[in-house]
Amino acid sequence: MTYRVGVDIGGTFTDFAVLDDANKLYTLKVFSTPTRPGQEVIDGLRALKKRYGIEPSKVSYFTHGTTVGVNTLIQRNGAKLCLFATQGFEDVLELARLRMPDVFSLFSLRTRPLIDREHVIGMRERILSDGSVETPLDEDQVRAAVAQARAYGVSGIAVALINSYRNPAHEQRIKELIAEAAPELYVTCSSDIWAVIREYERTVTGVINAYVQPRMTNYLTSLQKALRDEGVSSEPQITKSNGGVMRAELGKRACVDVLLSGTASGVTGASFVAKLSGFGNIASLDIGGTSADVALIIDGKPQFGSGEDVGEFVLHVPSISVSSIGGGGGSIARVDDQGVLKSGPESAGSEPGPACYGRGGERPTTTDAFVVCGFLGQAEIAYGAVNIDRAKAEAAIGTLAKKMNVDVRDAAESVIRVAVSGMYAGMSKVFARHGTEAKSFTLMPFGGGGPMIACFLARELGIETVLVPATPGVLSALGGLVSDTKNDFIQTVYEMLEPATLAALESTYATLAERAMDWLRKEQGHPGEPQLTYSADIRYAGQSFEIETPITAEWIKKRDADSIADAFHNEHQRLYDYCDRKAAVQVINARVVIAAANPKPDFPLRELRKHAAKPDRTVSVYYGGKVHDAGLFDRAKLEPGATIEGPAIVSQSDTTTCVLPGFAGFVDGYGNLILKDGTLS
Amino acid sequence: MTTGAATAAKAEQNEQGLGIDKVQLQVLADHSLAAADAMASTLYRTAHSTFVKETEDFTCGLATPQGQTFAAPKGFGSTWFVGLDYGKVIGLIPSYEEGDICITSDPYSGFVCTHSPDIHLWKPIFHDGELIAFSVGHIHNTDVGGAVPASLSRTLTEVHQEGIRIPPTKLFRKGELNSELVEVMLTNVRVRDQNWGDLKALVAAMNTGERKVLEMAGKFGVDTFRNGIQALLSYSEQQTRALISTIPDGEYFFQDYIDEDSVGGSPCRLALNMIVKGDSIVFDFTKSDPQLTSSLNVPTGGFERHTLLLVGIFHAFHSLMPDILVNTGMTRPFHCLLAEGSVLNPQFPAAVGMRSLTATRLQDVVFGCLSQALPDRMPAAPAGSISIMNVLTSDPETGRRVMAAIDPLIGGGGAMPFSDGSNGSGGNGGFLKNTPVEINEVEVPLRILAYYLTPDSGGAGRYRGGLSTTLIFKVFAPHSVITARNRDRTRFQPWGVRGGRAGKASSYVVNEGTPKEQNLGNTDIFTAQPGDVIRITSSGGGGFGSPLDRPAEAVLHDVRQHFVTVDGARSEYGVVIVDGKVDEAATKARRAEMRKQEGEGHFDYGRGREAFEKVWPKETYDALIERLRQRPVSWRFFLKQRVFAHLRDAVNVDARKLHAAMDHVESEFPQLRRKAEAAE
Repeated sequence: MTYRVGVDIGGTFTDFAVLDDANKLYTLKVFSTPTRPGQEVIDGLRALKKRYGIEPSKVSYFTHGTTVGVNTLIQRNGAKLCLFATQGFEDVLELARLRMPDVFSLFSLRTRPLIDREHVIGMRERILSDGSVETPLDEDQVRAAVAQARAYGVSGIAVALINSYRNPAHEQRIKELIAEAAPELYVTCSSDIWAVIREYERTVTGVINAYVQPRMTNYLTSLQKALRDEGVSSEPQITKSNGGVMRAELGKRACVDVLLSGTASGVTGASFVAKLSGFGNIASLDIGGTSADVALIIDGKPQFGSGEDVGEFVLHVPSISVSSIGGGGGSIARVDDQGVLKSGPESAGSEPGPACYGRGGERPTTTDAFVVCGFLGQAEIAYGAVNIDRAKAEAAIGTLAKKMNVDVRDAAESVIRVAVSGMYAGMSKVFARHGTEAKSFTLMPFGGGGPMIACFLARELGIETVLVPATPGVLSALGGLVSDTKNDFIQTVYEMLEPATLAALESTYATLAERAMDWLRKEQGHPGEPQLTYSADIRYAGQSFEIETPITAEWIKKRDADSIADAFHNEHQRLYDYCDRKAAVQVINARVVIAAANPKPDFPLRELRKHAAKPDRTVSVYYGGKVHDAGLFDRAKLEPGATIEGPAIVSQSDTTTCVLPGFAGFVDGYGNLILKDGTLS
Repeated sequence: MTTGAATAAKAEQNEQGLGIDKVQLQVLADHSLAAADAMASTLYRTAHSTFVKETEDFTCGLATPQGQTFAAPKGFGSTWFVGLDYGKVIGLIPSYEEGDICITSDPYSGFVCTHSPDIHLWKPIFHDGELIAFSVGHIHNTDVGGAVPASLSRTLTEVHQEGIRIPPTKLFRKGELNSELVEVMLTNVRVRDQNWGDLKALVAAMNTGERKVLEMAGKFGVDTFRNGIQALLSYSEQQTRALISTIPDGEYFFQDYIDEDSVGGSPCRLALNMIVKGDSIVFDFTKSDPQLTSSLNVPTGGFERHTLLLVGIFHAFHSLMPDILVNTGMTRPFHCLLAEGSVLNPQFPAAVGMRSLTATRLQDVVFGCLSQALPDRMPAAPAGSISIMNVLTSDPETGRRVMAAIDPLIGGGGAMPFSDGSNGSGGNGGFLKNTPVEINEVEVPLRILAYYLTPDSGGAGRYRGGLSTTLIFKVFAPHSVITARNRDRTRFQPWGVRGGRAGKASSYVVNEGTPKEQNLGNTDIFTAQPGDVIRITSSGGGGFGSPLDRPAEAVLHDVRQHFVTVDGARSEYGVVIVDGKVDEAATKARRAEMRKQEGEGHFDYGRGREAFEKVWPKETYDALIERLRQRPVSWRFFLKQRVFAHLRDAVNVDARKLHAAMDHVESEFPQLRRKAEAAE
């Protein structure tokens, strides 16, 4: 028997999902060790051996998502760097794209760059937009700049020059010169990381990569060693923002590709579970103590984009789109001067956390309101790591009740209503941006707080069905396990789409495909069948934004401009409700994605035995201004075919599902709990 | 349409309390925001023009049956129209039926539209036959015909030259498109497909708003909805009044100037006497310039709460109270006084196309009053000029004509009471994105030589004003037309406060440092020839607090960042830097010396304004406006220009000299005296 292990390292817990050759799933949770990254993996492997008898030497595949990169960025404790930019353009990071984060506020400030202007050195060189060299590189000046960088005491240099997307020669030469003069320095060239037009976006991508590189490298190196020491012989894989995986070794260079590691694999996991159970359109809802994130899966496919927020920064490499819609269970409620109840944006975070956790928090949070209404605290949560103190929750909510001059339970219910309506507004925006309606989606909650709030939010959005996966706590870990090996390649083209330019386009794609194959075979060492996906970023001439349009290898080969243009027009029609088939069309970037499948588990569909489940006991919950009797169920005992009627509470070790009055639930053949709102339709 | 006395009475009652469960109110606020966001998404997503996508010069919102906007999207679209009151324009249509959508683009009908490129729509929303709300919104069309491409120019003198104007009328009647009207509109514009595309997008947004309102009415019940939207206005009003109550009662006066009241003209003064009493404010703008014979007039119809008069308030109050609900309720505690036939209340047919330049300066005037009232809480002046540069040139090899917007020029934010101003853009000018250098170079046959933050451009201070941007580029083709609309602040600088110095003025120069050097000042349109190198620098934000109080280490840090030069550190901050280190002794001595010279005033206006006010003190300008106001509207601008020409070489104009000059100028026109005598 061999085992495939997926790990997701979160802020508080690290989740393990393990599949054996017979597709049996084992799950495990251990505490994360943020001060000793990698230790939680060792702890987990030992616990797996102890609890399930899984020998490390029998681990045939190991993949994990890490927060090391993203935490380095958020906490701003990355490398001290220099930026080598083209002379005359040294302010590229400070200027960014000018637009302010809050356009109403006179006090709005842009994010402080990761490299101060002081440490930006202008290079005497210039390449033009056609790739020709106007001013040759002054190599003596480069050497002097390297000496200066050393004198600053930096550990790395990011190199990003104007028009290097077209001709990377000067960036590459600078890299060589740095290697000669200062081999100890890390170097990132913008043209190596993401060779795309738009100097700010390319520069900041390179800078972020350089900024997290030393920490990522140390972390991955120590993890590789620890795994070897534990006896895991297979090479560890790391999950990527694009929903794929790659060898951990490659993560030491392509650091920027793994920033959204865990978030992306959560969505991959959600889409895997949804597909298995026959759901096409899913809104995944991941709610933790401090965050509430939404991703849309349309026709079984996660949505991709570039422009995802990571802390104060925007990520410009392809990533699974995830939007923040609020502050999660720790959001603090307050009554403003006009007597209006507000929820967030302030959060009690994980320290001290909600009042009911008894860790010193005193201000009322969403989680406290759930306790007061009786939805939480009826059974053990978070593997017994947290004890719910109901009296503390009531005291905290009581301060609001007094100001509002209502009963504490009414105050609590109001807190839930306001928190939910804030999330409603956030989620509506996500649907609106995709030009779609909430009604055509199923809500899939996970994370500690998702299943708690899902029915409330679904009812507000007019969503009929809520799908609570069998193992909501390990969706991200499972996502990593089912991910394909995958990488993105891009080259800026910037040509009109017309017969004369197609030969060049064909050769661009050929080069990209060759690089992609090299990556898969040589760098990744994956023997599997390669899947090459072609697309182009296209726009109408004169537009300032482009649309990624899927195209086929055949159109490229046949130099079929019409089919490519048609695909773009259709895509434009789909996204923007109109197109102009007579207008001139411009290809900005050529893209190739290479993927190779990794084995997928084949979860058995268990037989349904239709029966009304029996609650362990009956508890009181407060909803709609009334006390209701609610059945308290243990998720572990709910068999396929079991049905329950709301109001009910379904408890499991990592989350609690609140089933509101009017909802009816049943357990499907994969163990998913499916809740349907009977008050709709 | 009858709005119903009962509804009005209910609205009245809500002035007192909010008249609705306050939990329900917050839920309704969230849903209204989501509805407005959905409208804006629809519009943004389906609009055709790049202009809409890049500048977000549009609005969407929901209004009460009385036309008061109660919901606007957050972080989407323009910040200027959130307080728009559609009441008057709604009243200009005799009756409404389900499926109607109304339109106007006339700046002189109802004063919702403020220049002809803005197409405004409003759609009545009926629930069981009862009118319960309106979807409202506007979009700025790149061109609506008229004398010049893009329809806007300072040179225009009558609204008739500024493109086609649609009076309030029905675009859809019971769901049926008025296609004859559309054909008339499109026949009169330069890029018909784009306008039609954008109009369709705006119609789609109106329909999204209707759908969302009906969903809300269904979900909460129509009574709750009806009362709730009034309560949202009252809530915003109460928040605003609570904030006003923290402003000490009293009168606060501030004035600022536009560099030129017409192409190459004299300054135009905007003046505000802000009278704060309890929880309400009177804005007396009557000392502002008379109506101009250029397109810089702001059409308000004399409406006492016109949104364009209060944009400064939206920015300032949102900054001071970040969770304030921004809607028309915010405008209720304000009462604006405007002189008929003035730049802020022009008479038909004055041109109004470039009102945004004036409206931007007007925000500075509001900020200036608030700064005196709340000296610890308000920032110094932001750069104050928001301009977009366009280039029309041709490819030297192929001859292909290229027209493109190359970059916005905004300038720094004002220094805050607790932080330096933001660099490059900020304050009330933070909504535009720049165009990447690489995109400009591949799209337009020109070469960008440099694009950077201008050292020493931020007003010196305990907190430094935000730096301006400098763009230098070279053109290669003959007759390349460079357009830079809305340029200002080359003469009158963004002011500093509480010892902080004014930000540096903007400048625009061709072939600098060569025999062919030419200073372009505020030029809108310039024709460049092959090899010309153009440098344009925006203005810097004002500083806050004395620069002598800025820690020497912070000044040294700025020097290291290239934000301040060694010379600037010495001359403006009194910090002497030698070999990259602060010379403590020399700094102490220099700062002690400089402290003796420091002024006392709340504001530092910078040299441009000081020089002007030496010639034209406030009292003299007051007297000028008083004299001009006695003359017919059509004479005022003409006489002002004559008087300024007459006093061109004066070094100090007091009241006596002014009256003498006025008498002299007027004596040339006996018809004026006859008219005045007849009036007596």
